[in-house]
Amino acid sequence: MHITLVKKILASGEPCRKCRDVEQRLKDGGHWPRIDEVITADERDPNSPGMRLAKDLNIDLAPFFVVRDNGAVTIYTLYFKFVKEVLQSNHRQSDADKELLENNPDLDFI
Amino acid sequence: MDPRQATVNHTPQQVLKDALSRYEQGKIAISFSGAEDVVLLDMANQMGLAVDVFCLDTGRLHAQTYRFLETVRQHYNLDLELLMPQPEAVSELVRHKGLYSFYEDGHSECCAIRKIEPLRRKLDTLDAWITGQRRDQSVTRTNVPQEQEDQAFSTDEHTLIKFNPLADWSSADVWSYIRTQGVPYNELHDSGFVSIGCEPCTRAIAPHEHERAGRWWWEESTQKECGLHAQNVIKIVD
Ligand code: SF4
Repeated sequence: MHITLVKKILASGEPCRKCRDVEQRLKDGGHWPRIDEVITADERDPNSPGMRLAKDLNIDLAPFFVVRDNGAVTIYTLYFKFVKEVLQSNHRQSDADKELLENNPDLDFI
Repeated sequence: MDPRQATVNHTPQQVLKDALSRYEQGKIAISFSGAEDVVLLDMANQMGLAVDVFCLDTGRLHAQTYRFLETVRQHYNLDLELLMPQPEAVSELVRHKGLYSFYEDGHSECCAIRKIEPLRRKLDTLDAWITGQRRDQSVTRTNVPQEQEDQAFSTDEHTLIKFNPLADWSSADVWSYIRTQGVPYNELHDSGFVSIGCEPCTRAIAPHEHERAGRWWWEESTQKECGLHAQNVIKIVD
């Protein structure tokens, strides 16, 4: 299995808050060694490796994970889904629900 | 024809009728927010269609909204299901962060506990749900179709379909329907409230403001932190 984390640099040049949060959670949970590769999607540079990969995979959210396993490629845009399914680790449901809301802004008006 | 395309650009009534004919009762329900989406209930009622209706009771709604829910329940003789958050989760949030944490931390943590969890619990029991979402409501809804696979709540084991019969309608269309059909409406609308949610997170807006300005106004209105927004980069060659 090969895991790639794609993290984002905002147009302002700052790293995105969610990406920092995800990286810290991976480290705090002892999962960081499971990440084989980290690449950057720099919003200022459409040719940055992460922006190109996101375009190829038709992904418009970051951070995201690309998991390659025995020829199969699975994309995870939800961190907690990735943690549960790939790292087989538990998480608080409320954290997963918060992420679901943040990744689906059209749920705002429910 | 692909069923996802079957109702595109149909009238809201056609979408409703189609949706309710495709799913048995108990497997489809209308999500009613206590605001303008009351028109969906009226349409179903006028067509004589039986439909389950649920509403998220976050515990933070306006008194006017609770009164309106009761008016609607009686008016349409509804078996209205109120979905409540898990008391332990609310209690933990309030104990650690107080009753107004959303003004400091943003609304997603409180909304996750008070809305998303009970909604997910309900949607797990359904195959389809019906919402009052419209494209003109916010910048995040400009692509809302009349029917879609719900990407947020579907799982590998369970596909959930979401119907948005009002997707094509404007706010003016909705209000024209409410006035001409004599539909009951939330009295907050008469005080300048357009989009109505929880009391601490909703405010009246001025006529020139977009309805999104009435919700979570202290947060950036177009903030889409997780989106990837390529810049139009002009490379300067020296
Ligand atoms: S709208 Fe406000 S009060 Fe209601 S659940 Fe969300 S953050 Fe909490």
